[in-house]
Amino acid sequence: MKRILRIQVNGRWREDAVADNTLLIDLLRGPLQLTGTKQGCDGGECGACTVLVDGRPRLSCCTFAASVEGRHVETIESQAHNGNLSPLQQAFHEKLGAQCGFCTPGMIMAAEGLLRRNPDPSEAEIREALGGNLCRCTGYVKIIESVQAASAVKMEKSGEPA
Amino acid sequence: MQPLAILKPASLSQAVTMHQAEPQPRYLAGGTDLVPNMRKNIQKAQTLIDISGLAELREIRTESQSLRIGAGVTLEAFCEAPAVRTHAPLLVQAASQVAAATHRATATVGGNLLQDTRCYFYNQSDWWRTANEFCMKCEGDICRVAPKSDRCYACYSGDLAPALLVLDARIDIVGPTGTRQEPLAALFADDGMHHLKLAAGDLLVSVEVPAQAGWSAGYEKMRLRGAIDFPLAGVAVALRRDGNRVAELRVACTGVNSYPGLVPGLEALAGKVPDDAFYATLDKAVRKEIQPMASTLTAAGYRRRIVSAMARRLVGKLFAAACN
Amino acid sequence: MNAKPTKGVGERLPLVDGVEKVTGRAKYTADLFPQDALIGRILRSPYPHAELLEVDVSAARALPGVVAVLTGDDCDVPFGILPIAQNEFPLARDKVRYFGEPVAAVAAVDEQTAEQALKLIRLRVRELPIIETPAQARAAGAVLLHDNKAGNVERAVHNEFGDAAAGFAAADLIREETYHTAEVTHAQMEPHAAMASYEPSRDHLTLHTVSMVPYYVHLRVAQCLGMDTSRVRVIKPYVGGGFGSRVETLNFEIIVSLLARAAGGTVRMQLTREESILTHRGRPESDTRMKIGMTRDGRVTACECEVVQRGGAYGGYGIITILYAGALINGLYDIPAVKYDGYRVYSNTPPCGAMRGHGTVNTRIAFESLMTSMAGELGLDPIEVRRRNMLPCPTETINGLRVESYGLPECLDKVETASGWRERAGNMPKWKGLGMACSHFVSGSAKPVHFTGQPHATIVLKLDFDGGITILTGAADIGQGCTTVVAQIVVEVLGVDFRRVRVISNDSALTPKDNGSYSSRVTFMVGNACLDAAQQLKKILVEAAARRLEVAPELVDCMGESFHVATDPDRSIDFGTAAAEALVNTGTLHVKGTFTCPVEFQGGKHRGGAVGSTMGFSYAAQVVEVSVDPDTGQVTVDKVWAALDCGFAINPLSVEGQVQGAVWMGMGQGLCEQTRYENGKHASANFLDYAVPTMAESPPIEVFIVESIDPNGPFGAKEASEGPLSGFPAALAAAVREATGLDFHDFPLTPERIVEALEARERAHRAAQRKSAKPARETVTEGAV
Ligand SMILES: Cc1cc2nc3c(=O)[nH]c(=O)nc-3n(C[C@H](O)[C@H](O)[C@H](O)COP(=O)(O)OP(=O)(O)OC[C@H]3O[C@@H](n4cnc5c(N)ncnc54)[C@H](O)[C@@H]3O)c2cc1C
Ligand code: SF4
Ligand code: FES
Ligand code: FES
Repeated sequence: MKRILRIQVNGRWREDAVADNTLLIDLLRGPLQLTGTKQGCDGGECGACTVLVDGRPRLSCCTFAASVEGRHVETIESQAHNGNLSPLQQAFHEKLGAQCGFCTPGMIMAAEGLLRRNPDPSEAEIREALGGNLCRCTGYVKIIESVQAASAVKMEKSGEPA
Repeated sequence: MQPLAILKPASLSQAVTMHQAEPQPRYLAGGTDLVPNMRKNIQKAQTLIDISGLAELREIRTESQSLRIGAGVTLEAFCEAPAVRTHAPLLVQAASQVAAATHRATATVGGNLLQDTRCYFYNQSDWWRTANEFCMKCEGDICRVAPKSDRCYACYSGDLAPALLVLDARIDIVGPTGTRQEPLAALFADDGMHHLKLAAGDLLVSVEVPAQAGWSAGYEKMRLRGAIDFPLAGVAVALRRDGNRVAELRVACTGVNSYPGLVPGLEALAGKVPDDAFYATLDKAVRKEIQPMASTLTAAGYRRRIVSAMARRLVGKLFAAACN
Repeated sequence: MNAKPTKGVGERLPLVDGVEKVTGRAKYTADLFPQDALIGRILRSPYPHAELLEVDVSAARALPGVVAVLTGDDCDVPFGILPIAQNEFPLARDKVRYFGEPVAAVAAVDEQTAEQALKLIRLRVRELPIIETPAQARAAGAVLLHDNKAGNVERAVHNEFGDAAAGFAAADLIREETYHTAEVTHAQMEPHAAMASYEPSRDHLTLHTVSMVPYYVHLRVAQCLGMDTSRVRVIKPYVGGGFGSRVETLNFEIIVSLLARAAGGTVRMQLTREESILTHRGRPESDTRMKIGMTRDGRVTACECEVVQRGGAYGGYGIITILYAGALINGLYDIPAVKYDGYRVYSNTPPCGAMRGHGTVNTRIAFESLMTSMAGELGLDPIEVRRRNMLPCPTETINGLRVESYGLPECLDKVETASGWRERAGNMPKWKGLGMACSHFVSGSAKPVHFTGQPHATIVLKLDFDGGITILTGAADIGQGCTTVVAQIVVEVLGVDFRRVRVISNDSALTPKDNGSYSSRVTFMVGNACLDAAQQLKKILVEAAARRLEVAPELVDCMGESFHVATDPDRSIDFGTAAAEALVNTGTLHVKGTFTCPVEFQGGKHRGGAVGSTMGFSYAAQVVEVSVDPDTGQVTVDKVWAALDCGFAINPLSVEGQVQGAVWMGMGQGLCEQTRYENGKHASANFLDYAVPTMAESPPIEVFIVESIDPNGPFGAKEASEGPLSGFPAALAAAVREATGLDFHDFPLTPERIVEALEARERAHRAAQRKSAKPARETVTEGAV
């Protein structure tokens, strides 16, 4: 079955003819050409495909596109504004949170989901929130440092002590 | 992925009606169990009835003598809900160890309870299973774990069920024949292929957790990694302490049977001092109840051993922490 | 005027391609979606070992939407790494030798059609006995995987350097143990993918692929397709990790090319995670029998080592792996005599290959474990015993390896102090422990696998009318950051602004050939070539500036973005002017830099002597702290301190990242990773059963960089990414030894193994109590469990 699917992707409403058995990841990467979202496993086991749906992390490889009808989907491509990297992107860049970069989009989106709820997470909270996002390059140390650095920037901006 | 239609009911009753009317239907909640399984072609559906939009399923309500949790509440929301945190911290302990945080943001309480059983011969790609000529649970006719057996030993691996079981939880179901409430324990059967006693179209609406004044409870899960992994074994314990005695004790396990089960025969321990003999009896009761099979790459013998060890230390810990 | 040249090396700089990665703009192979591309899929053998009697593709061919179907009949040219060991076909012919081996392939208009076509292909086979273990393979009368290899032994290596018998005779303590290490796989996060386009009118093929060594792929694809190499173009987009999985040409790269030619168009192929793990080329399961002789004061007098590797179904890198396993017993400590016997054995499992720390890891685990255990017997501190076996530097080892810089002593000092070793080791609370080990690795194999007579590295700097400096390199950035390293070196030499420099890499039509990203060669070799090119360009620019400024070149100060008269700094021209002057009469400048390892570094004269040879070894020491849960056997790594002598840190941030990644990957092997096979069929080709550690339980890893300034490395730099890996498992086992009192010789140290060993001790203890005999020895080997 196909439907005209109305979803908001990265701030823009759009309508696409989509078969009901289409996974969100395939819609994003294929027709929408948002290839920043990665497929790292055969379903649910690596976190590389993490996007935000209504602000919460979601594995786009375990989600039918039709299930997010009418909702707000955010991918890594939406995170920089007018050429300015988001605090997380900036931190992952500067602190070497990304080596090969393949886990990075999913990692940043999961971290974004965390920071929106908990702008000042402890190290334990970061480890917990990103536990489902595998990275094979970094040993995670610099990813954690990146999230902490982004959190500090966000806290500073919001005027609270970091 | 096979062709299918996704339907979005506006109400519980419409969901049930759709389930009656449509070909090869399944309810879809968070999809974190069902979708990976469908991608492997081990669970099939021509119609998915997406119940994630039903607000009625997403309520958490404190009632006079209990806590009622909608089946559609995500594990994330569940763990953060003040009512759950104060009423039943045990449940937070269990739910917060399900999969990883990214799963829990969409995974639901209902989906967690009703997840499929698992087996190394079953949770494999279509190609792998074809090459292995399938097994009884899906498309084949013999069990690869126990080839002489006429049943399937696939393992129930949900984390929430044992925790709810020791709290004596009840469930509300709406189905084609109306609504009913029953003990959670009555939902499960010792059969890897048919481990849920649900009729076609039955929809889990909520779970009711009675207030447990005076009880202490905890959950321990063993898994290889600190996140993602299903339990190799999980143990939930609830006990009431009376002076230097254990007044009442409930223990439930997961990951070691085709169903999550309360360990029977613990009444014998009520009113006893937790001494060596007590623990020996507990050990025996636990070992008698569990039957881990070679359904995981981790040896069954190991899983058997640690359940006893975890049960023992959890009882000890809870007893010590409980106020007299 | 206070112009200053930009500092390029020694700075903690972000990756030059980092913004692309954090924004999702970086295009990996699977991100390329040309409009007209067909979908390629592979049919894989459901049998671990069988004679192929028939592959019937008629029904698949007849399916509408199917454009090409290929079988082993479509390519009879074998491929592999060493010219003498090429015994693998892109699609199996005559026989299949492992579960998952490609048998047929289709290109179709879409995914579903391709999938459906695969299901229509019928195989008729005669199943053969499955060889799963080296013992089965070497048993008398065992069926042979390859007819020309008696006993299924791909290569036996026997050598002795120094006089081992005399060494053992001089020892006060001799111990021998066998260590078993499970097979592990790279599990790079990016599943394999490739895309090939064939243009029939010109007979040209363009291949985009995930390679670490695009140049091998180029050669092998041309070879298997019978095409002139000049008509093949290989492009490597961003690559999501390698760790050795992609240093060989892989079957799917050839298959997708064959499909594209057969279809006369473009074919995309994306492998699943399962297929990617099946493609494997990981670290072989090994049995390592290690025997060490030591004097009372801890000096090693001799070492004898036998290694048996289960290599999988095909040659691949096998011969090199088994040679590495012996060669790098040397080069870390001063050992007067080493006898080595290695056996690389075929089996009906996916082919093993090179994986981070190639060949050396399992031997290192055995050596370090035994060394620590013997130190204990002699009442010596594990760090102290290592100090007593330091190499002199410079030196040449008994097997002809040159050591020109040696920061290991300082590495030991760093981790000893940082971990509080002196106060804490041996005094840890119950169920906690500290352990340590050392390790090393080559900075590039001094003799490349393919002898061509060409330099070992070549790089080109292009300077054109725009004043931009384009670095053209074939060095494959797979996440390790080599694109950044070359940019840093050019900036360091020329002093120009980073924004003036861009890097174009890995397009065989544009960039010079590079031997590829293996054996940690890139920083050392490509770095040196880059240094050479940058120095030449600088000279050209300075001379041009001198002409413009009308002074002698010696009087020109290069400030990067400007050139000044040394005696009169206000007289200056900017970079653009100097560049324009440099182009006069010549036009676009292409400055080529090269690097070649001198022959005296290329190893001993003995057979296989080139393996292990290098111009510089990295050195590492690490301390690991653990807690053990005695009820569940869970080992938690609480903290790691790792020190690495990388010669000079061109980018300290990057070096730290490499060390952390390597140590952590060693942790995976030590703790929880293993590929498993049941009846010859893989049992763990997913991320639930192949347990890559998650962030939740991964430890903090504190890194200390030691700079020994290697005389031959660029700015003194050596490798930073492989050496630190192999120390981890032995350090882990030593820490677990302190925590539990038990020796473990079987890796990984899964909770199962820990619980079994604890229980076995308990049982032995009870039995001993019953007999009221002497207390049982606290050593549990596999046999006793
Ligand atoms: C990598 C990975 C790791 C995991 N680890 C764990 C783990 O450690 N512990 C654990 O417990 N689980 C684990 N899971 C399984 C799963 O994520 C959880 O069980 C989750 O809670 C399922 O909830 P869901 O809403 O996503 O269920 P779904 O996938 O939507 O549904 C699961 C099943 O329940 C049925 N269902 C759902 N809701 C209802 C309802 N209200 N009425 C009737 N039927 C219903 C569906 O039809 C389906 O058959 C893991 C999954 C993955 C992919
Ligand atoms: S227990 Fe037996 S029947 Fe059940 S899934 Fe496993 S192999 Fe199949
Ligand atoms: S792609 Fe691995 S979890 Fe989605
Ligand atoms: S940076 Fe390579 S997988 Fe994380």
